[in-house]
Amino acid sequence: MTDALPLLVVVPIVLALAPIAAGRLRENTGWIAAAVAAVVHLGLSVSVALTVRSAGRVSYAVGGYVPPFGIELVADGVSAALVVLVSAVTLAVVVYARAAGPRSNTFYSELLVLTAGISGMFVTADLFNLYVFLEITGLATYALVATGRSPAAALAALKYLLVGTIGASLYLLGVGYLYISTGSLNMADLAGLLPEVGYDSPLILTGFALIAVGLGVKTALFPLHTWQPDAYAESPDSVAAYISALVSTASAYALFRVLYTVFTPAFDAAVPVALDTLVVLASVSVVIGSVLAVLQSDLKRMLAYSSVSQFGLVVAGFAVVNETALVGGLVHLVGHAVMKAGLFVAVGALAAVAGGRTIDDLAGMADRAPVVSAAFAVLALALVGVPPAVGFAGKWHIVLGAVEGGRWIVAGVAIVSTLLTLAYFARVIERLYFRDAPAPAGVAEQPDATAAADADAALTADGSGAGSGGSDADGTPGVDAGDVPDADAVDAPVSTVPMRARLIVVAAAVAAVVLGVFATDLIAAFEPVVEVSFQ
Amino acid sequence: MTETLSLWPLAAVLVPAVGVLAIVASRRNPNVREGVTILAALSTFGIVASLVPSALAGTPHVTRLGTLVPGIDLTLRADPLGMIFALVASLLWLVTSFYSIGYMRGLNEHSQTRYFAAFAGSVGAALGVAFASNLVSLYVFYELLTVATYPLVAHDESDTARQAGRKYLTYTFGGGVAVLAGTVLVFWTTGTVAFTPGGIAALASADPVVARAAFALLAGGFGVKAALMPVHSWLPDAMVAPTPVSGLLHAVAVVKSGVFGIARVVLDVFGPETVSELGVGLPLAAIAAVTIVVASVIALRQDNLKRRLAYSTISQLSYIVLGLGILSPAALLGGLLHIPAHAFMKLTLFFCAGAIHVETHTDDISDMAGIGRRMPVTMAAFGVASLGMAGLPLVAGFVSKWYLLIGAIDAGTAVFAGVLFVSGLLNVAYFWPIVYQAFFQTPDDSDAKPLVEFPLGGSRVRADGGERVDDSDAGDAAESGDDLIDEVADGQDGFDASESPATAAVDPDVEPSAGESRVEIEAKVDGEYAVDRHPSDHRDDGEAGGDAAHAGDGAPDADHDPHEADHDHHGGPPATGWEARGFGAETTWFMLGPITFAAAGAVALGIAPRAMVFLAMIQRVVLEVTGVTL
Repeated sequence: MTDALPLLVVVPIVLALAPIAAGRLRENTGWIAAAVAAVVHLGLSVSVALTVRSAGRVSYAVGGYVPPFGIELVADGVSAALVVLVSAVTLAVVVYARAAGPRSNTFYSELLVLTAGISGMFVTADLFNLYVFLEITGLATYALVATGRSPAAALAALKYLLVGTIGASLYLLGVGYLYISTGSLNMADLAGLLPEVGYDSPLILTGFALIAVGLGVKTALFPLHTWQPDAYAESPDSVAAYISALVSTASAYALFRVLYTVFTPAFDAAVPVALDTLVVLASVSVVIGSVLAVLQSDLKRMLAYSSVSQFGLVVAGFAVVNETALVGGLVHLVGHAVMKAGLFVAVGALAAVAGGRTIDDLAGMADRAPVVSAAFAVLALALVGVPPAVGFAGKWHIVLGAVEGGRWIVAGVAIVSTLLTLAYFARVIERLYFRDAPAPAGVAEQPDATAAADADAALTADGSGAGSGGSDADGTPGVDAGDVPDADAVDAPVSTVPMRARLIVVAAAVAAVVLGVFATDLIAAFEPVVEVSFQ
Repeated sequence: MTETLSLWPLAAVLVPAVGVLAIVASRRNPNVREGVTILAALSTFGIVASLVPSALAGTPHVTRLGTLVPGIDLTLRADPLGMIFALVASLLWLVTSFYSIGYMRGLNEHSQTRYFAAFAGSVGAALGVAFASNLVSLYVFYELLTVATYPLVAHDESDTARQAGRKYLTYTFGGGVAVLAGTVLVFWTTGTVAFTPGGIAALASADPVVARAAFALLAGGFGVKAALMPVHSWLPDAMVAPTPVSGLLHAVAVVKSGVFGIARVVLDVFGPETVSELGVGLPLAAIAAVTIVVASVIALRQDNLKRRLAYSTISQLSYIVLGLGILSPAALLGGLLHIPAHAFMKLTLFFCAGAIHVETHTDDISDMAGIGRRMPVTMAAFGVASLGMAGLPLVAGFVSKWYLLIGAIDAGTAVFAGVLFVSGLLNVAYFWPIVYQAFFQTPDDSDAKPLVEFPLGGSRVRADGGERVDDSDAGDAAESGDDLIDEVADGQDGFDASESPATAAVDPDVEPSAGESRVEIEAKVDGEYAVDRHPSDHRDDGEAGGDAAHAGDGAPDADHDPHEADHDHHGGPPATGWEARGFGAETTWFMLGPITFAAAGAVALGIAPRAMVFLAMIQRVVLEVTGVTL
């Protein structure tokens, strides 16, 4: 059922309009729309995955226009796996946001637009179409970061807007160069046309550089990462979980597509210096990201710099250009998304109970939130690379691929990254388990009665618009006081972790271990794509 | 060798893992929880013991668990070499479980559930290390072992414990990272990482540079846990953990996993022939020899009993590595036999140290004069184990040492035989005083211990006993501490440089001159050594000086619970001297039983090594690897 491919994008977009339209009539339709969209999206992505499993690469021509003239959507092993990942993360965040995150209709609309954008990025096979979805993703993300409702969040969103738009524009410029020289925008088509123009033609090289830098901005590699710490730290927890899991992942995936489907390994053979430079930048990103992460005391910032480091590893895996390393990069891409989402949800839950956002605030939390702390520890160690979790599988292949390719420095950096990652996670685990909690500063009920009432209503009632909307202090229909100001300095701590958060974090931890144990099956899904790329 | 497909190796690893869950589930009922531990330990030992006959017969049990990464299977195989380690770990876990109950309850320790659960997890991981059939599977369980033992090292939750935990993680993950690098190199060069008795054939014909690099990374990485110098220093600091942890994990399971890894590398990855062709056996043996001697010398200066035992462990572990480096069949046999031999002996010693701590809160040797009256059976077991450590006949250490000596001479490297003799002497030197003073001296009438008390290089005394006149700035803080002094004087608070020694509370026999290193001055002033805290009665003031010094957690012997600031007496005999206790009345049988069992095991291994299954297992290993029957 290849129609599932465009539906992956269409369904979220259409349902994104629902809360805005229906919001005139009822409050809190946002959650229902998002939940429906997430479930439908999951069904669609699973059907796509099954189709790919049986039929291999699946293609869809949008509007009936034949590629390369028209826009083509493609699903193969890699994109199918990633689309399923999108569904899973969307579902998890929608569930989590019901309890923790912003609850306004606009939030859910934006989330669905973001889902559409990211799904589009994963299934498109056209460079300009990729730009369109890149911008959709970006705009939705800027808006979502700003739902943090604090001045810092607004500033973070603005910074992200500026830097992200520059990045996307660079990407567009690069695509333009390629279009001028070849006349085509279709990825597979370009793969045949570029060698005719010549890989070492200045137009092509410039196009590659612009695209790589543009996507590097969106993936947040060092030194193009400056938007990411603020964006992750100041946005609400649910938003941070979503964008950390998927936005940079999509950009890294786009880079993979550009490198392997458009430019192909023949480009590396013709102009080695291009990808060598990328390898060096990625390796630097690994080291510096970890070092910066160690210096942080704010938890979400630490996780943001951790992402910088981990994506450096992924891109290094891509840029080494051999099969093993590519497999490693892809496995780590998927695994990191799962682990980082789980880590953000865990950090959000722990910080809510502890009443603070820094590492020291988590002292002794293992007693008060044992399940979430244990799951956090499992996820952290998985990201460090302790086998048999998925972090090890990715790292093993990247290191092996680097050694096979004679890139000793990359291999060394990847191996040392284990220790660097340990450096910033061990502190947190130590605080959680081996320090005593400070004397509690009065675990009182939230003084903001509206927020408390909203929380209760959201957890117990099922979108009873009148009940929770009526407890608004100001009662304006657009502004829902359920936007818990997460970005505020210290919320009054809740007494226990909500069950949803617990479930999500434990599910993420279990998924990380299961993915690692069954890594060979995941790799088997990627194999056809990898082989095709290296023909 | 034909393999028998079965689930028993997997069961041996899973039973402790399930035990972890059961222990956590029964956390509200301590007796049930302890019962779960005992039951898990008993079942694990039963399973492992049942795998012995097939391993000896050459038909080991194998469990295939699928593919870990493409090209590498996750398989658990109960082969003879793995069975040695597995038997030691599982049997001594059973013994230590009983001991732990007595110890933890005797001290009323906190977080006992976490302790017992982490213990079970550690032993499960150790069994995984033992049964892993290739380098990657071993790496998986090796890292899990690190993760499982970290909560035990940091158990106390004091600053010292956290620092020790951090150091432990850094060192062991660093070692793990090196092992990973070496594994990747081996896989890249040969296409396989499976353990093959006699070595992977393709490594013999591989590029020597790559092969040597891989060996160095693997041996170095495993050497961290095996406490080879210079990456040994995590071990003395890890003594902050509760004594059963120190005993089982750091004398038996964790460190033995390190030497076991080296054994796998030398015997089953490279093989003795390739190792000697590459020329890496001799450097390994040389590092081991240096470790043996230097660690023993450092042990001579330790006043804290557990630290002394830690350095003794570092020294004795290198016996095993020495045997693996010498490469002749007898040396291999001796080295491998030292794995169980040392395990029994060192466990006895640690159990004794723990029992002394629980019963009398004494940690320092200088406080232990005459303690044989108070704890006769304990000190008798200590004496027996010490004899074995020195290599005297009738105790286990002799048998392994005998083979090591023969092997050293066989290989033509008689210098290592000399090293072993010297080490035996040093062992006597640091164990004998403890035993002698326990039984033949009393607190009032005990000898000075110049090696422990006096500063390196001697004290500055003139020939007629008066004070040496030097330039009198007391703030002359002179040399930065070298490793030995640091290890001796850990955790000292900031020294007030303007405080001249003469006005300190404690007035030692000899006035320290200003030129002495500040460490010795601090030691005398703050009373780090017991002999300074309880000086003889010719002193001017009657203060029991230096109380303030040990209220904090900084002292290296702080392995009791953190809330013991009310002790102004740091342990040691009560004012009236040790009271005599009869047989069985000195401590609970939870602790006494394991002590006697471990000591008896050490003696049994020494008297009838062939009857104890270890020797037969090791002979099988040597046969498979070298083709020589010993």
